[in-house]
Amino acid sequence: MSRKLVMLTLLAALALPLGASAQGLSDVEAKVGELRKRVALLKDQEAIENLQAAYGFYFDKMLWGEVSDLFTARGSFEYGQRGVYIGKERIRKALLLFGAEGPEAGKLNNHMQLQPVIHVAEDGRSAKARWRGMVQLARPHASGQWGEGVYENEYVKEGGVWKIARLHFYVTAFVDYDLGFTKSANPAEGPSALFPPDQPPTEIYRSFPGVYIPPFHYPHPVTGKPITFPQPADTVLGRKLP
Amino acid sequence: MSTRFVNMLVAAVTLATGIAGPALAQGSDSSAPSLAARVAALETRITRLEDANQIERVQRTYGYFVDKGLWTPLSELFSDDATLEIGGRGVFVGRKRVLEYMQTAFGTDGVKEGRIQNHMQFQQITDIAPDGLHGQARSRAFVMAGGWGLPLYENDYVKENGVWKISKLKGPFTMYTAWEGWHKSATPNTRPDSFMPPPDLPPSVVYLTYPSYYIIPFHYAHPVTGAPWKVGAGDAGAQPFAPPAVPR
Repeated sequence: MSRKLVMLTLLAALALPLGASAQGLSDVEAKVGELRKRVALLKDQEAIENLQAAYGFYFDKMLWGEVSDLFTARGSFEYGQRGVYIGKERIRKALLLFGAEGPEAGKLNNHMQLQPVIHVAEDGRSAKARWRGMVQLARPHASGQWGEGVYENEYVKEGGVWKIARLHFYVTAFVDYDLGFTKSANPAEGPSALFPPDQPPTEIYRSFPGVYIPPFHYPHPVTGKPITFPQPADTVLGRKLP
Repeated sequence: MSTRFVNMLVAAVTLATGIAGPALAQGSDSSAPSLAARVAALETRITRLEDANQIERVQRTYGYFVDKGLWTPLSELFSDDATLEIGGRGVFVGRKRVLEYMQTAFGTDGVKEGRIQNHMQFQQITDIAPDGLHGQARSRAFVMAGGWGLPLYENDYVKENGVWKISKLKGPFTMYTAWEGWHKSATPNTRPDSFMPPPDLPPSVVYLTYPSYYIIPFHYAHPVTGAPWKVGAGDAGAQPFAPPAVPR
């Protein structure tokens, strides 16, 4: 709506003499055009923030239809070391690995979506974002877990609507609620034998007590250079510091 | 951020629809701001939103760097003459000292196997000064490690050559506890000699952490009443903890 209004306003402004020179007017026109673009990018960022937040709220309650409908037709979903599922229908089935469709009494499946760093491409048609995922899983009197990880996701705008093109959740750790990180570490789930992924994990790593640094999609916010680092050593995988 | 965006969009639409009105009237009312001036004012407002956005990115990136021990890129988020004060450790002056602090206290770059040191960055309230070159933010870190931690931040930021940097990081601790929970244990605040290296300046304020308390002054006025925060004698208090405090 604001685009239309700005356009109408611009046209109205251009149609008036205003006592300004033609040059002055065309400067203003150019400036308004630039501002429109900047506002559009801010709106895009907000839409993506809402999109990912919606993903979390649906995921919490195992609303797999709603979750998979957030993806593009060829969108991809990768959670920890489970491998990559490609396409809406495949994603919807893969989500059954996290539980049956729909909310369930006696099950907590919270996936909080926090700390976003979003970058919308200059053309306003694609975007990338890093997010923090905090996870709370529970079965009353049976198990309780804290989980944590980092998302590096990609989004595209199709027909004016932002969708998830690629979702990648890097699991940092899952831990027993009562024991904590000093006494417990639950390994990340691997690819399912029941419903194998379309592709193996894009990156092989161990979750805690292993360590892994998910690559950053964005350059350093101050130096502007790529954020580079050696992956920390991992004695099980045999990964050594260079 | 979304409330900010909504406010901004309302402002943009209001301003945009308003442009035609005064422009029409301009011939008879020379006091009305020119179209160019209104557009310039709009640009300033949009720039402030982009500024707040970028400061959020910087602070959130700081957290992602702490998580993984990326101390060198972390230090590069700071301006040359920035200061850093975390917990009760005192003040470190300059970007190089920021790096020395991190690498001396916590080891070389890169999180070590078997360690978790998440510093999750939440709840940021960002304000930009009218000059557009200085910013302030209050926010919190939720630390999930071997135990739990809750630093607050009241940070300053500076825009140098169009780039936002941290110019002052001040992170007093609210609480640190063992994993078993804040009802069972409490870790005392750090001191200048808690671990190496020593600071350049003593702590700007001495306070106790949970179960005692300290309210770091708010940089902003009350969002509804507009009243500035007044530092009061009741902003800090000491309280002994019944179970024995656990060492850090």
